[in-house]
Amino acid sequence: MANYEAKAEVTGSVWKIVTAVGQKLEPGDTIMIIESMKMEIPVIAEDGGTIREFRIGEGKSVAEGQVVAILEV
Amino acid sequence: MKAPESPPASQAESVLLEYQKQLAHAISMGGPEKLARRKAAGVLNARERIAYLCDDGTFIESGLFGTSASNPADRHRTPTDGKIAGFGKVDGREVAVAANDFTVMGASSSSTNGRKLGHLKRVATQRGLPMVFLGESSGARMPDHMGARGMATLLGNDPVQYQRLRETPWASATLGMSFGSSSWYAVLSDFNVMRKGAVLAVSSALLASLAIREEVDPQDLGGWRLHAEVTGFADLVVDTDEEALDAVKAFLGYLPRHHNEAPPEHPVPPASGASMADVLGLLPASRTQVYDVRKILRAVFDSDSLFEIKARFGKVAVTALARLDGKTVGIIANNPLFKGGALDADACDKVTSFLVLCDSFNIPIVMFVDTPGFVIGTEAERKRAPGKIMNWMNALQLVTVPKVSIILRKTYGQAYLNMGGGRNSDEVAAWPTAEISFMDAQFGVRVVHGKEPGQEGFDDLLEQMDRDSAVWDAASVYAVQSVIRPQDTRDYLIRTLDVHRLRLTGGVGQHLMRAWPTSY
Repeated sequence: MANYEAKAEVTGSVWKIVTAVGQKLEPGDTIMIIESMKMEIPVIAEDGGTIREFRIGEGKSVAEGQVVAILEV
Repeated sequence: MKAPESPPASQAESVLLEYQKQLAHAISMGGPEKLARRKAAGVLNARERIAYLCDDGTFIESGLFGTSASNPADRHRTPTDGKIAGFGKVDGREVAVAANDFTVMGASSSSTNGRKLGHLKRVATQRGLPMVFLGESSGARMPDHMGARGMATLLGNDPVQYQRLRETPWASATLGMSFGSSSWYAVLSDFNVMRKGAVLAVSSALLASLAIREEVDPQDLGGWRLHAEVTGFADLVVDTDEEALDAVKAFLGYLPRHHNEAPPEHPVPPASGASMADVLGLLPASRTQVYDVRKILRAVFDSDSLFEIKARFGKVAVTALARLDGKTVGIIANNPLFKGGALDADACDKVTSFLVLCDSFNIPIVMFVDTPGFVIGTEAERKRAPGKIMNWMNALQLVTVPKVSIILRKTYGQAYLNMGGGRNSDEVAAWPTAEISFMDAQFGVRVVHGKEPGQEGFDDLLEQMDRDSAVWDAASVYAVQSVIRPQDTRDYLIRTLDVHRLRLTGGVGQHLMRAWPTSY
């Protein structure tokens, strides 16, 4: 098992966190949704895994490349 | 006249015995212990890889009895000199295969095996055969290369060793520790699949650690995640050797054997196009919502034929080979699932290299458009966005194979041109959901009219701009040649690509980018 850093791919603000700590995700599942460029852009768990920690909260600004969650994969 | 004497039976037997002895040694690779260790690790050896890749009984080896030429003491411990070369058939078509045998001196590069590879590439180029490299090599052989005499003798004797003019497709599988020439051939190839656990780098972690005096993790140096997500040198990542070899076969199945013929045709799977009636349902009704464009692509193209390249790199754009009515096509699609489909620097490199691949091997191009434009801002400029956007644009305008663009939803600004808008495609079609403008109306109202959301008049101006962006105005001035029902997209593409078939040259383009870089 290894930790994986899920990163925001765009600069924007966190609109909604749709998962919870401890939740198991399948590859491709959405972790949270960022609002950017007038669109709702998901942060995706590419390889699936279990959410260990969120590094940001709803409504907060986020920069491209910023780590927003830690997953155990 | 006296008949020539037959050799005594015992002499004929001894010739055969000697041959058998030489043969047994030549195919013994690095010996039973090393081979057993690989087996225990679940990794195929070089001969197993060739056997898996090639059709049964078709592999004919070149240089089976080659050994090290530099050091007489190495001669008996270097069967095939660590690189197995030859010709075999893959799904019935002849290919040239070079497989590194890591169990023999780490498949390091030497004089004899360098000559074998040179011969193989010459034959492949002159006779029109795809090249396959099965990479796993420690790099240059030591101590043979050390010193001025070693360097002068072993390196630089082939003036076309690393030349690519894309006369035939090259496919590479990185299947273990790959340094030096093994890495060079991987990045020179048109397709490189990487097995998880393999490493692709200039030199080993050990040498890197010695040079920079800090511990280097091999996976950080050149592991699959680095090459799939950061460098783009891995076009595909798989778990096993067998999956990697299957991927090489699949890739070659889309390509012609050489640049002077059209790609092969395959039977059309029965369920192809069966879900087209529901394809519009894959596009969210709300323009603020994103979706995975690959679902639309899977519906449009022949069943199970979508072969994505660099899926984890520059993800805002999808590049994929696929079949349409049995014929190979290259797909470039914006993917709003990532960054809303805004095109970044990595996507530019990815699309440019894909355009070069398709044009070099006579593969028609289909573009699916839904992008808010290029990513802008300081980071984009630092990543040399203007140069990359123009590399892409230059490549697009040098393409000589048919190209068709389908606008699904948004297409704004310069990205409209890069995605084939205007005369940058042979035909531009659009779904009725398409909108074309210089920028999103939300920003347009602010830039053009200086109004902010919430201010009086903003909503009216926004509505007006949205109306002006509808596809019908573009169709009225013939900038869009066809507005099509989404469910007709597959049929439209089949007919349109047939209209634009390169009849005058038997499906062969001009290959104006054949000498373009193989990586960026």
